[in-house]
Amino acid sequence: MDAKFVNPFIDAFMTVMPQIGFQDITRKKVSVKDKSAQSLGVTVLVGFTKQIRGNVAYNMSEETAKYIASTMMMGMPVEEFNDMAQSAIAELSNMLTANAATNLATLGYDVDISTPSLSVGHDFVVKISSEQYLAIDMDLSGHKIEINISLQ
Amino acid sequence: MEKIRVLVVDDSKVSRIMMASVLSRTTFQICDYAKNSMEAVEKYRSLNPDVVTMDMNLPDGDGIECSRKILEINPNAKIVMISAMKDASLMMRGRTVGINSFLQKPINANELIDTLLMVCQSTENSIDVLRESYVKPFIKVLQKNLFSLAGLHSKVDLELDKDDFLDVTGIAVIIGLTGVPMGRAILHMDTQTMNRYSKIMLGMSEEEDLSEEEASDSVEESANIIVGRSVSMINDICKDKEMRITPPGTICGHRIRIVNPKLTSFNITASTRLGDFKMNIGFAEGE
Repeated sequence: MDAKFVNPFIDAFMTVMPQIGFQDITRKKVSVKDKSAQSLGVTVLVGFTKQIRGNVAYNMSEETAKYIASTMMMGMPVEEFNDMAQSAIAELSNMLTANAATNLATLGYDVDISTPSLSVGHDFVVKISSEQYLAIDMDLSGHKIEINISLQ
Repeated sequence: MEKIRVLVVDDSKVSRIMMASVLSRTTFQICDYAKNSMEAVEKYRSLNPDVVTMDMNLPDGDGIECSRKILEINPNAKIVMISAMKDASLMMRGRTVGINSFLQKPINANELIDTLLMVCQSTENSIDVLRESYVKPFIKVLQKNLFSLAGLHSKVDLELDKDDFLDVTGIAVIIGLTGVPMGRAILHMDTQTMNRYSKIMLGMSEEEDLSEEEASDSVEESANIIVGRSVSMINDICKDKEMRITPPGTICGHRIRIVNPKLTSFNITASTRLGDFKMNIGFAEGE
């Protein structure tokens, strides 16, 4: 996978997250992974078509998902990862990916994205590539979000 | 033709007059106005309008909070949010409470009418269209390909998904659908069905050992073929639209819940001698 596809996702994260109430955002390591990611608890898959094809999987723990949902809903307490919180995380994934798609368009790639699919569980793997792909770790006030990107 | 009744929530007199002028001589009729959040909730309850246009800034609160209260009264309430700014965070909060349409001021007359019409199309009607034009091709292709890929005869059952989630232990291959309508298709089955099916696909005997990767790859490839051919069939019939598919994302594990926030989805079950092959086809609601 081409490394030039990474920055549009980092930029999207850095642009979107402050708009919805997050201040403390740091980019951690970028690593190469093979085929599948072990889910951290909550994984959202969004697909790409047209000039670039592939998938992005946002991976985080349920604790992190609740923390994000709560911040997005103006600090409303989120005790359980319920419908409202799931809907918020799916919507966030949609916004991040749509923003990355706009960034890819400025690089000259016409892309279209699918609706997000959110999976929850304690024991599952998500395969997004038949080869190697890139994973970016982002830190959000001590919470980790892994962005797994497989695009071609 | 019966008029579609609109409740206009806006504190500005100018905006209310503009709205009235745009909607005069259309199929819409303004049944009343509300100039603040409290009045809007009361009038929604007493008038039960077909659709609400909601200004973002109200003197006693914001339009999202007001919409949330209306959606508590009627979870299927149709609301079009109108605001001076169409920023991402606003839309995200709006969608999270259940608003599906957003317009930016100044309002363009055609855009307003189109949006109201789209929002008001009856849900029943759109479910029938989705079932007949988009889901039925998947059933045909699934049956045909289970036979051509593995010689399997199947009995198929189709139902509207009322759960908004899918519990899977085994494998689920998720393939995104882009274009119009937008959505995603999932082929899923339990581990035993996957293993039995993959051995046939790979020409292996019952006794031979199959790796997890070989098994999941066989199902993934089958899902790609089935969804790809279904979408080609849909595109052949509906020539004005072009749907595309994303590459598959494959989930394997125990007790996975795949949730479908805001999708209208259908469950297809194809029962075969090897076990059940299930598909969930979901479409996003109108933007």
